[in-house]
Amino acid sequence: MATDLRISNISKIYPGCIANDNVSLQFKSGKIYALLGENGAGKSTLVKILSGIISPDNGEVFLNEKNLKLSSPLDAKKNKIGMVFQHFNLFETLSVFENLSIDATEDNKSLRVRINEILKKYNFSIDLDVPVLNLSAGQKQKVEIIRCLLRSPKVLIMDEPTSVLTEQETEELFISLKKFCDEGILIIYITHKLKEVLSLCDEVAVMRKGKVVSVSQTQNEKVETLASKMVGQKLAKIKKKINTSKNKDEIFKVKHLNFYSDDPFETNLVNLNFSLKKGECLGIAGISGNGQNELFQILSGEIITPDASIIFRNKEIAKLNPKQRREYLMAFSPEDRISQAAVPELKIYENVALNNFKSSNFFEKGLVNERKIKEHSKKILSDFSVNTDNVELKSQFLSGGNLQKLILGRELITAPELLICYNPTWGLDVGAINYIHETLIKINDEEKSTILISTDTEELLKLSDRIAVIYKGKLSKIMPSVEVTPEKLGILMGGGSID
Amino acid sequence: MEDLLIKIEKRNDVPTTLYFFTPFIAIILTIIGGGIIFYTLGFNPIEALKFYFITPISNLYGFSELLLKATPLCLIAIGLSFCFKSNNWNIGAEGQLTFGAIVGGGVALLFYNQEGFYILPLIIIAGAIGGMIFALIPAILKTYFNTNEILVSLMLVYVSKLILDYLVVGPWSNPEGFNFPETRQFSDSARMPLLFEGLRIHAGIFIALAAVFVSWFVLYKTYLGFQIKVSGLSLKTAKYAGFKGKTMILIVFMISGACAGMAGVGEITGPIGQLHRMISPDYGFTAIIVAFLGRLNPFGIIFASLVVSLTYLGAETTQIFLQIPQYTGQVFQGMILFFLLASDYLLFFKIKFQNFNKNELRH
Repeated sequence: MATDLRISNISKIYPGCIANDNVSLQFKSGKIYALLGENGAGKSTLVKILSGIISPDNGEVFLNEKNLKLSSPLDAKKNKIGMVFQHFNLFETLSVFENLSIDATEDNKSLRVRINEILKKYNFSIDLDVPVLNLSAGQKQKVEIIRCLLRSPKVLIMDEPTSVLTEQETEELFISLKKFCDEGILIIYITHKLKEVLSLCDEVAVMRKGKVVSVSQTQNEKVETLASKMVGQKLAKIKKKINTSKNKDEIFKVKHLNFYSDDPFETNLVNLNFSLKKGECLGIAGISGNGQNELFQILSGEIITPDASIIFRNKEIAKLNPKQRREYLMAFSPEDRISQAAVPELKIYENVALNNFKSSNFFEKGLVNERKIKEHSKKILSDFSVNTDNVELKSQFLSGGNLQKLILGRELITAPELLICYNPTWGLDVGAINYIHETLIKINDEEKSTILISTDTEELLKLSDRIAVIYKGKLSKIMPSVEVTPEKLGILMGGGSID
Repeated sequence: MEDLLIKIEKRNDVPTTLYFFTPFIAIILTIIGGGIIFYTLGFNPIEALKFYFITPISNLYGFSELLLKATPLCLIAIGLSFCFKSNNWNIGAEGQLTFGAIVGGGVALLFYNQEGFYILPLIIIAGAIGGMIFALIPAILKTYFNTNEILVSLMLVYVSKLILDYLVVGPWSNPEGFNFPETRQFSDSARMPLLFEGLRIHAGIFIALAAVFVSWFVLYKTYLGFQIKVSGLSLKTAKYAGFKGKTMILIVFMISGACAGMAGVGEITGPIGQLHRMISPDYGFTAIIVAFLGRLNPFGIIFASLVVSLTYLGAETTQIFLQIPQYTGQVFQGMILFFLLASDYLLFFKIKFQNFNKNELRH
């Protein structure tokens, strides 16, 4: 029987952001549909609505013209909507069979028979009696898929399924998905990877800033056309003066940076090489989860990679911790403001003391010099126009923008030669974004360098002198930003290649 | 069919005054809970509570006993506060106390027939080192082998108790002791000086008070204290700031172990005067309650140690006057912790009730 899934005028508004803005889409079985978009485009919100995890403020979902009330994941299950999330929901210490039998309604014997049928039919090779923790990421995903198949689903939603898979496992997954599709299961495939859309899907809906901006047949699309739809054409109005002087001193150089992690949710970094001149801003673009976190932590010294070479102002700093790197005049502004860059429960002046650089005398002979820290904090608050002058205020009472100003101020007041920041304007309002962009341009004008890791392409094009794209832990070639267009970035961010 | 849906949300702005006030609420609730227990056992609750909370400290001797038992609790809790503040869950203070007592007691036995002013300080230092070494085991295993310090420190409690058992029965047992499981009596030079004639309260209380002031200074006025505070609130931030995480774990465990070790020495050189099997009525475990009841604040801990000490004394008096088992002490300690955790939960989270239609789920 054919399945027809229709989403009608779905809206979901979170404080300060419209996650889904009047989204209407139609899906029919026999095809694989892609839902494409950048981070924060609203894909996940839509998927969560379909799987009953959140309920929409407005709009309806129809399955074969029946209006569905999806107020819990249970409802989605009952209506035969299956969902495989990016992060698995398996009990690591239980066996595969035990995991599958947890929410089964039949007895173990007949369940085993059915599971074996599925294994045989789709050519999955999984030992049902080993603990899940012994499985590879691809095998775990298969267990999740089997769990959906056991309920003979009409709709199967896959959320970024290849982010933890190897190339080989990805190919296998695609073969299985095509088989499911032939059997009449409607497949919705969520991704930001352009190539996968083209090689797997029949139809693609592109989302941007909560809206569906296009629905089209994939055969009419190319990597370039999808990329520009995904990223959007809007270009930055103000652009900084590009740093062209080529004969400036090199200040920072990374050679042979490799990072291997046992954690499947971390990204391995493969042979990164780049360098930076005085007064230059190097932008690193990419969809989040492609190694930016790991790169930031390695550059800041939170993760030490002893085999890599990181040269800063002619000194090898690869083995130094963040505090020692600060002594050499580096500064860091991490993505996560509230649990990494600052502690909300601490007072403003205590958060300032986290950047305890050598000449600060914040802690003389191991004792806290409160007077000094407070004086210094007052200066930061006024120099960086934070909207309070009370250094005793707990940081949790600052707005995101003001907290970010405080953090940047704390990092910049030491006049560092290099600032490394990661999504510095994430979640901020326009006023704060402008202020931070101006600040970042100003430090380049003062001949200080910046590395800007960001998932916001607009921001990168506005601030960077040169841009590279990180994709699956690999860095693209570094391009002068005058030669970069949003389309080019989009292609590279989606794993494509340009000449 | 209407039903209530319960939603739990974190509160962002908990007033400091309320934060330090909730322990009192917990104590009041404990007293009420205790009254109910006495009532169900068939006693007049007011009378029984009077035996429990007032009678023990109604005379000078009782009051000195209160201080005597509060001394080790306070000292251990001060040490534990360093661990707990920095997110290190040292549950094995009882083991560190026992091992400190073993090492300190060993030194005391070495000098059993000698006199000299230097003997007592030597024993105290030995006890502190003993506790420190024993606390370093879970710390090193945690930092270098990623083990869970809760399990390791807890299991080591039983190791130290068995070592003590072996020593007092075997090699260290008193040769003139008719095979009782105890060592020789320590010499007078190896005993804590008594503060007043006829009372058991001893100079160990000054060690505890000194620990309070030193810990206040270290926690609030030094770089180490700042690092402990930040790591406790956010390990990610501590890493980002470049604090030496591993060294800090070792340091807080050493401080904690040293305090517990000294508390052990205080017991054997104070009221006990020798080593035997029962050197501590689980002071090391009870001190965990003291640390939290005192909000991990040095001065709060003084107050909390007095309250919890009273639960030990109350249990003894009610046993004598009402023939209720001494274990009521543990019941009261458990209630304090339970009510404290419960009121903390309500302090940090708000509970929202929402109407929600069950029938929607059924279709």
